[in-house]
Amino acid sequence: MPPAWLTDIFAALMLVVAAVSAARLAAARPWQPGAVIPDTDIAHLLMGIAMAGMLASSLTTLPNAAWEVIFALLTVWFAYRVARDARASGIRALASGHCAPHLVHSAAMLYMFLAVKTAASGSMAGMSGSAGSAMQALAYPTLAFIFALILIGYTAWDLDQLPGFRPGLAAMVAPSHQLAVAASVAGTGDAGISTTRTPPASSAGTGPEVADGASGHSGAAVLLSPGTTVGCRIAMGVTMALMLFLMI
Amino acid sequence: MTDVAVAGNRTAWRERLRVGAPAARRAPDVRRALQLALAATWLLDGVLQYQGAMYVKGFSDMLGGTAAGNPGWIATPITWNANLVQHNLGLLNTTFATIQLLLGIGIAFRPTIRPALAASVAWSLGVWWFGEGLGGVISGSASPLNGAPGAVIIYALIAVLLWPSDRSASAPFVAARAVGPRVARALWAALWLSLAYFALTPASRAPGAVSGMISGMTDGEPRWLHSLMNGAASLVAGEDLVTSIVLAVALVVIAAGVYLPAPLAKSTLVLAIVVAAVIWVFAEAFGGILAGGATDPNSGLLLALLALCYWPLRAAPLAPDPANMDPVTEGTVA
Repeated sequence: MPPAWLTDIFAALMLVVAAVSAARLAAARPWQPGAVIPDTDIAHLLMGIAMAGMLASSLTTLPNAAWEVIFALLTVWFAYRVARDARASGIRALASGHCAPHLVHSAAMLYMFLAVKTAASGSMAGMSGSAGSAMQALAYPTLAFIFALILIGYTAWDLDQLPGFRPGLAAMVAPSHQLAVAASVAGTGDAGISTTRTPPASSAGTGPEVADGASGHSGAAVLLSPGTTVGCRIAMGVTMALMLFLMI
Repeated sequence: MTDVAVAGNRTAWRERLRVGAPAARRAPDVRRALQLALAATWLLDGVLQYQGAMYVKGFSDMLGGTAAGNPGWIATPITWNANLVQHNLGLLNTTFATIQLLLGIGIAFRPTIRPALAASVAWSLGVWWFGEGLGGVISGSASPLNGAPGAVIIYALIAVLLWPSDRSASAPFVAARAVGPRVARALWAALWLSLAYFALTPASRAPGAVSGMISGMTDGEPRWLHSLMNGAASLVAGEDLVTSIVLAVALVVIAAGVYLPAPLAKSTLVLAIVVAAVIWVFAEAFGGILAGGATDPNSGLLLALLALCYWPLRAAPLAPDPANMDPVTEGTVA
């Protein structure tokens, strides 16, 4: 087993991802009529909490059965989204669409909860909550290896795409409709926050007002930028691959 | 700056690019795809280095073990390093893992690709010496089946070949773009001929050597891989010399392949990928990853990646340097 402080660091990283995702969800104001709930942020929030619970033995989250249901639902949801993307853009949906990585993330989480349960054969309480149980062995380690390779591949891909989003610069000065365009590439996508804020085409070009407004909320712009989503996905991909290898 | 101004500037920039290099923008950038594959391999390395097996004394013992059979000037620094690691295991191993993770991130992240590739070469050379004992090249224990000439040195070679510069405007394959076709071919031939030589050394061709190497890797592997490897070990048992000779001949053919016309070169590259895959699965057991405790995926995967760097390109204008491209405005790479 790696030292507890190391897994605690990764657990803290996952909690940061969860907090960022929660902030993005709050910024989307889902309680307002017509608001679109970003599914990727919901997935990141749930995965961040679940992974932190798996990594830090002192952290108690939900029972394993609850996580299994949650990740099964997320897997089905993203599978549906990928299938829909694939109908529209063919196999490219797997490489350039944002739902495919989330499908892999959700499926890997589901696998981790199911496989460790199988391996334990009912002799252990589960991954979350009980000290020392965080890094149990997984059944079907070949599947863990395949998941880890795919996660690492998507992480490299995300890193390659990251400079194009320029969260620190473009997000602060770019008008919201440009963020919406970038979001569709990055992963907030058609269900993303920015879509709800896209001004009508006729209002584009009113520049100073939009730019002033954006600079007045630069922190929010960075938070809502697609680069933040991709950054969260990168952190999650690396940590999930690490967990899979720790549990092989 | 107004929206119109931003949009106008971008449109003008796109138009300039379109006029300047119309074919290049459509050409798939194979080199960037290979750089990402290298980055992913470093990420894999980094993640594997965080495993629990690296935080126990066995890891430093493994490092110290690579000194065996090497001359004193090579062995002494290895032993010193192993002792240092043993006394600072948590700190140093975490540092090693993080460095490897950062190398992968740096190569995949376009703005940092050059320093990351340069750092990866330096890191690889250090690990080759202090962590792999020069891959057993001098001690005589090197074999293509056990990762010779050291997986990590192949990382360095690929990093050099994928350096984002263009020495040759009409490069016949990706590896020639940075160093030119002559140097790239010479590096390829040197690597594969050295592997052919290692396949025929006494340690590799001795009775029971090949089958022993394969069966020695089966511990802790999943049942299906265990069976496959045992089957392979049984197949070559008693035929170790013949196996070594056949392997050496295949490696020589591969070494010569890059000097042949494109269709024949492709055939030898396919052979290289097949040989690399056979080594990776049957002899290296995916680097032992499935058994837990592997530090890297070993050489098979990297040999296959290297072969892809030599795959003949269609005659087309070179794509612009992806390290300076904007993925949003320029589209995605191959």
